[in-house]
This record gives sequence, C-alpha cells and structure tokens, in this order.
Amino acid sequence: MSEEADFDVIIIGCGMAGMACAAQLLKEGVEGDRILVVDRGEPIGAKNLSGGILWGRELDDLEDIFPNWEMDNPGIERYINHKKIGFLSSEDAFIMEGKFASWDGIGGTEEPSMRTGWSVLRAKTDSWFAEKLEEAGVFIMPGIKIDQLHIDGLDHTSYSARDLTSPAEDSGRGDNQKWKIDNADPEIVNAIREGKICGIVQDGEVMTSNVVVIAEGSNSILTRSYAFDTMLHAQSRHGIILGVKEVIHLGEDVINSRFGCFSGDDERPPSGMAMEAALAIYDDMAEKAWEEYPVTAGQVPRAGGWLYTNRDTVSIGVVIQLDSLPSGIHTYDMLEAYKSHPAIAPLISGGESVEYGAHLVPEYGLDRMPSRLVRDGAVVIGDAAGLVYSNGAVIQGQNYSIHSGKLAAKVIAKCIESGDYSKKSLGQYRKDLDSSYVMRDLKRFKTTAKFLADDANYTWVPKFMGKMFNRVVREIGEEKITVEKQARKLRKEMRRKDKKTKKGMGLLNLIRLGLMGRKL
Amino acid sequence: MDEKTKFGLFEYDVKNGLGLIAYNVDEHEHAHIIVDTKKCGDCDSMMCVWGCPAQCYMFRDVGLEEMKFQYEDCVECGTCFLMCTDGALSWNHPRGGFGITYAYG
Repeated sequence: MSEEADFDVIIIGCGMAGMACAAQLLKEGVEGDRILVVDRGEPIGAKNLSGGILWGRELDDLEDIFPNWEMDNPGIERYINHKKIGFLSSEDAFIMEGKFASWDGIGGTEEPSMRTGWSVLRAKTDSWFAEKLEEAGVFIMPGIKIDQLHIDGLDHTSYSARDLTSPAEDSGRGDNQKWKIDNADPEIVNAIREGKICGIVQDGEVMTSNVVVIAEGSNSILTRSYAFDTMLHAQSRHGIILGVKEVIHLGEDVINSRFGCFSGDDERPPSGMAMEAALAIYDDMAEKAWEEYPVTAGQVPRAGGWLYTNRDTVSIGVVIQLDSLPSGIHTYDMLEAYKSHPAIAPLISGGESVEYGAHLVPEYGLDRMPSRLVRDGAVVIGDAAGLVYSNGAVIQGQNYSIHSGKLAAKVIAKCIESGDYSKKSLGQYRKDLDSSYVMRDLKRFKTTAKFLADDANYTWVPKFMGKMFNRVVREIGEEKITVEKQARKLRKEMRRKDKKTKKGMGLLNLIRLGLMGRKL
Repeated sequence: MDEKTKFGLFEYDVKNGLGLIAYNVDEHEHAHIIVDTKKCGDCDSMMCVWGCPAQCYMFRDVGLEEMKFQYEDCVECGTCFLMCTDGALSWNHPRGGFGITYAYG
C-alpha cells in the first residue's frame, strides 16, 4: 500500500459481534488506536435490542478486555438457572419447567457446573462494552451512520447507497425483487461488487482502513448493497422474524418471589428465569382477519412468546414469522394477546411498562445467508451474516455473533502481520466459521427451520399438548385409559373438528413432523 | 362436539407503548423511509400496515381512503421494507444520532 491507511480495522456496528471483534483484535496484539468502531446509535447501544438472553460462555476469553463483566456490566441482569418451555392455546397452557443446580455454576453437580445464560438489556450492556473498549484504547465513534464503503479506485460520488437499496420501479411482486443501480456503467457496477474495499464513507468523507468489518446487524443494508448477497432474496420475508417486546417494571423483590429467583451475592448476579412458548392463541383474531381481508384467508400467524426476568424488570414479547402474518392482524396486537393470556397475565400483573420496542431476527437458515462473507478488504459477521439458530427450545444468536467476531479478528490480526488483505487470506475466516460450532449447528439442524415454519406447531400441536396433559392428570370420575389410548382418542376428536386439523393430524403429516422433530 | 373456546380479540395501546420510547426526530427532508403512496392505492394485503410494530402506516385498517405514512414513530426494525410487494418503499437507517434511542433494549 502506497500510504498508510487511517486504521488497520474499521468495524461498522458496536453490537455483540462488533465489540467482540474489537476485543479479540486487542487480544491478538493489534494496537487500540489502529481500531475504529463506528455505530449509528448515540450513545452506543441506543439502537440495539434483543429478546434477550445471551446464551453460552463466549465472553469468558474476553475477560482481559471486559474484566468481571458478569458482575460489573449493568446490562447483564440475571443469570439463568431456570427455564420453561410452553405450549399455549386459547384454552390451556402446558408449560415444562426445569431448574438446574449445575446452571448456578457453584460446583458439586454431576452435570458441568457453569452459568450458561444471562438476561441482558442491550442498551446498557453494549454501552458498557464500548466503554471498556475505549479504556483499552479503541476509537469508538457513536452516532455515525455509514452510507457507503470506500472502494479502491472508485469515486464514491459516482453512485449513492440509496440507489443500491431501493427496489426497482418495475419490480415484480413477490420474492424476486430486482435491485436497481441507477448508474448502469458496468465498470462502476463491477467495482461496487468486486472491487477492493478499503474504508468507509460518511457524509462524503472517506476514512481508510486495511480491513472493514461489517457488523451492522439485521438490517444489513451495506451487506446487501455491496453484493455480499446475491441480492435475489434480499426483500423476501421468508426466514425473517419480527420480535415485538415490552420491558415491564415489577421490582426486584416481586420478581424474586414471583419467579422463584435468588437475589445474588458477591460472586453471582441474581438468578433468573427464561421462558419460551409456542402460541396457538390467535384463532379468534385470525378468523376475524380472514373475514375482513380474504386476501390472506386461511393464513395462521406462526408466533412464539417469551418472558425473561431482568433484575427489576421483565422482558416480554412475541416473535412473529413475517411470511405467516395474515392481513388484518397488527403485530402489536399479537403482543397484547400474549400478555393477556391467563397463564401469562398474572406473571406481569401490577407491573408498569417502561419500554416498548421491536427488532428483526435474521433467522435465514443456510439457503438465505449472504452467499459471500468475505471480499477483498472486508468481512461480514454476526446478524448481518444471518448467524441465528433456533429450534424453539434453544435460541442462539448473540453468542454466534460474538463467536464470529472473534474468529474474524483472529484472521484479521494475521492479515495485518502479513500485510495481505485479499479475499484469499481473509477467506480463512469463512473456513474457520464453517468448521466452528456456529456453522456446524446451522448445517446439522438445517431441517429445523422447516419444522419451525410448520403451521402444526402454531395450531393443533399446542392444543393437543394442553388437552393431553389435562386429560392425563385430571380426575373427574371418568375411567382411566392409557396415555397411548388417550392420545389416539384425542386425535380422533380433534380431527373431527375441521378440515385443516383433519389434514394436519393425518398420519403422513404426523410421520413427516416426527421425522423433522427427531432432528431438532 | 365441544364449542370452540373463545380467547378473544386484543388491541394493544400502541401509542402508549411508543410514548415510552425516546426519539430524536430528524427533519422531514431527511426522513429515512420514503413511501410512494400513489403505489399503495390498490394494494389489498397492506402488509406494511399489519407488520409495522409502530403504527407508522395507516390505511383502510383505520378507515382511511389513502395510505398515510409517518416516519416519526419508526422503531427502525425494517419490517415494512420486507412487507411491501409493490416497490413503494425506499428504506434507509436514519442519519447518525437521529431516530430511536432505547434506554433498555
């Protein structure tokens, strides 16, 4: 390189992925003043929202940069030792509950003793992480939105990012929106897609770096614009989930007694509970919607609900698969229905809402991940790369983000040593990611997305679970029958109700679901 | 057979929810989402209206003849962009320092 770049690394986005990448770079010996982290939030964290539980011990090896993070980070609210998985229908709630001594992480258990998840409030966690990075010498610039990447030899005024991200005038309906690039000069288009990325452009000003790390999160405009993606599916709703959430203040004591939590000591934050549930509670809303808006008649919203305990608040919300939302149902009304369910309402009663928010979850799965994660001079990490996995019972995203950030940093540090920032050397990141548990999970469980997108899990399955449990445990003077017989009887009854359930609970469908469910 | 159990219909007081959020609203000329509402006229699914968690899109759901869009309450989730099938929408993040400011997240 003829002249030295302003920075070795510029990281776009200070969320879990970006901050982990910066921290790992420091650990690899990269000087803090050679790293710039920009984020559009001011203060850092202002744009960040998660469910949210941070699962996994990904922060352990960043302890040098984030000392005592578990106790000192004000956004790490409670550690989770108590998990519930539920099936809610209009009539019933069937909720399984596990409380694990090994998750307390104080030893003396047969299972590995470690705290394994923490409820987090991201506005607070992320600003603390940024503070620590700053103390370690990293440049942090909040309130900066990046419009364009700087491409070697290309005048950034010859095109605008907006041109790249607005749908074409003549686009067809559906999933195959084409993208317009106003400036059709093929040389420029090729440079945008294939040129060497060597910095960022903000408000017309260029800042150069040897590597740009794109950690921009789920609305991955830069990732799409610069053709990391094939762009073909960029506007599809498929595989994208909307989380709608409220933070409700209940007070620490109420949470401790209501959810059976421990109030913490010198070594541990307070303990907490994480609950997720499949929801079949929208029958009435859907029916009314179908009547008013026949255009999506028959479409069932596929949604899950969650409730996580923070220190003195709870995070409660619903996740909605956007391709399943019928016309006639507002997403926020779905939150209200969940909050009003007889099994949920008592848990938040007397609480005061302190924040409302929403965020997309890019649960793309393998076939919709950006086709490239590496270009000359740039890598994509975290949510922008679509690194999210859920099977309903485990939900992984923030830990994948941290892991991808760390992997990228290790490769980048080597590239800085060798001075080679080509996609070939940076490509080691993709290889490392592929052999890490992140991509191995995503590959091994590739059928999960299909299972989770099956209407059954949001219609008859939760109903069946509730009714079965009810019948197995109740005593109303009827003759007892075996669980198997009860299941057969219930299936028969439910199938008689309507055509859809009849088909959904058909033998072939059950086998199909079973085969998918076996691979969760 | 047994009657279907009624759980009912629910309406969230979304304006109250949005009232809990701090915003630094940018001027109109810098609106981060631009909707060409002329294209919305004969859209029958109105998915932006149903998807948007911040009631930024109002149309026949509230009895309006024409799409009414406002960006001020936007929580910057990006749902509308994915929902629009008529190419009426241009979506960008707000300028640095503007838009939503979560205190909890």
